[in-house]
Amino acid sequence: MKFIEHKRSREVEAWIRKEVAEQKVRYRKIVAEQDALEPKRDKWIADFLHRIQTRGFHVHFDQLRKIRPEEVPVKPKRKFRVVF
Amino acid sequence: MARPHIEPFVDRDVPFKKLTLPGFPKGMQYKMLSLDPDNGACSMTVMYEPGYKQPPGMSYSEYELFIQSGSIQIGDKVWGPGSYFFVPAGVAIEAMSSPRGALALMFFNYGEPSWIESDSDHPRAEKQNFKAVNSYDNLQWSSTNFYPATAPGCMVKVLHFDNRTQGFTFLYCMTPNFWQDNISYHDCSEEAYHIWGTSWMMQFGELPTGGYFYRPPYINHGAFGCKLGTLAIGRTDSRLYNHFHYNPWTNIEENRERAASRVQHWMPELYQWINTHGHNHPVDFEYAHGHAHGDMPHHHGDGQVEHAHKRKKRRRR
Repeated sequence: MKFIEHKRSREVEAWIRKEVAEQKVRYRKIVAEQDALEPKRDKWIADFLHRIQTRGFHVHFDQLRKIRPEEVPVKPKRKFRVVF
Repeated sequence: MARPHIEPFVDRDVPFKKLTLPGFPKGMQYKMLSLDPDNGACSMTVMYEPGYKQPPGMSYSEYELFIQSGSIQIGDKVWGPGSYFFVPAGVAIEAMSSPRGALALMFFNYGEPSWIESDSDHPRAEKQNFKAVNSYDNLQWSSTNFYPATAPGCMVKVLHFDNRTQGFTFLYCMTPNFWQDNISYHDCSEEAYHIWGTSWMMQFGELPTGGYFYRPPYINHGAFGCKLGTLAIGRTDSRLYNHFHYNPWTNIEENRERAASRVQHWMPELYQWINTHGHNHPVDFEYAHGHAHGDMPHHHGDGQVEHAHKRKKRRRR
């Protein structure tokens, strides 16, 4: 049994509401920080796409496959998000 | 609504707060890592102040406790760093104390943190599933045993495995100079906390000691790297499968679509059955079976899988 049904007290309900509100603030801060990371991320992605063509892409454990230039994905025009 | 995507978050950046919820003794502080807005299930960094004392008791929710530093005493036994407890809902544990204090992680899996003083188990408690182990001293590292696997240099110790969901809790480590050049996503939610060390992911940058994430399904993460080594605790809420690829720009919908397509090809018979059966909630004869629309949990052990349900009457206005 993972959970026993019970009636929550007002105090508990208030605590959850307060924590949810704080979590929303935390989430917005994370999104802003991650948006600011975009220039660095673009460089990391470029390095990654280079490495998988030269050293290889990890298929399984130590098995690597070199990606051919025509297989390399192209960045779409839509907005790029990492936090959802 | 389930927990949101919290990634990355470093708990060292925020102060502890006193836990003042009903039932919990004084002397317990916490930092919230993530919380489910609907049911209050949450993951927290917890500090037991020196001299903390807790009477015997139980929680309404299944919970897990991991000691990072310091120690706690339960009954006569002292549990130090690396100690892990899996406590099913309603299972009473003996009186606990922490004479010198302790830093821990607590995971309340299905409801808000609750503590009810009691020296006996709840009648429905599944005591047989209680688990306590010192994972540093009594478990050994092994390679991940699923296919496709993480790169060499990432090892695990499985702390708890849920037979029904195949979700599991595990310690993992990355060796110095670990690297894995692929992008991964999973069908499950995943969360992790860095006990020690810094690792790097291509989307989110560096995650240091005290770093945490809660990641819902189908979100890209990786490539991966770790310069000096990392020790962390991870959890999933269901079976973990590594959907590896190398397109950094796919989104959740595309990843889910790909996962569904893969299931269609890996298990065509089952996929077709689920899609065409018409009564779309399969039954596992090993488990009690409930429905979301209000009827009582019931078994289908007699093979009567095909069954109808009366619609609930609507109230007249």
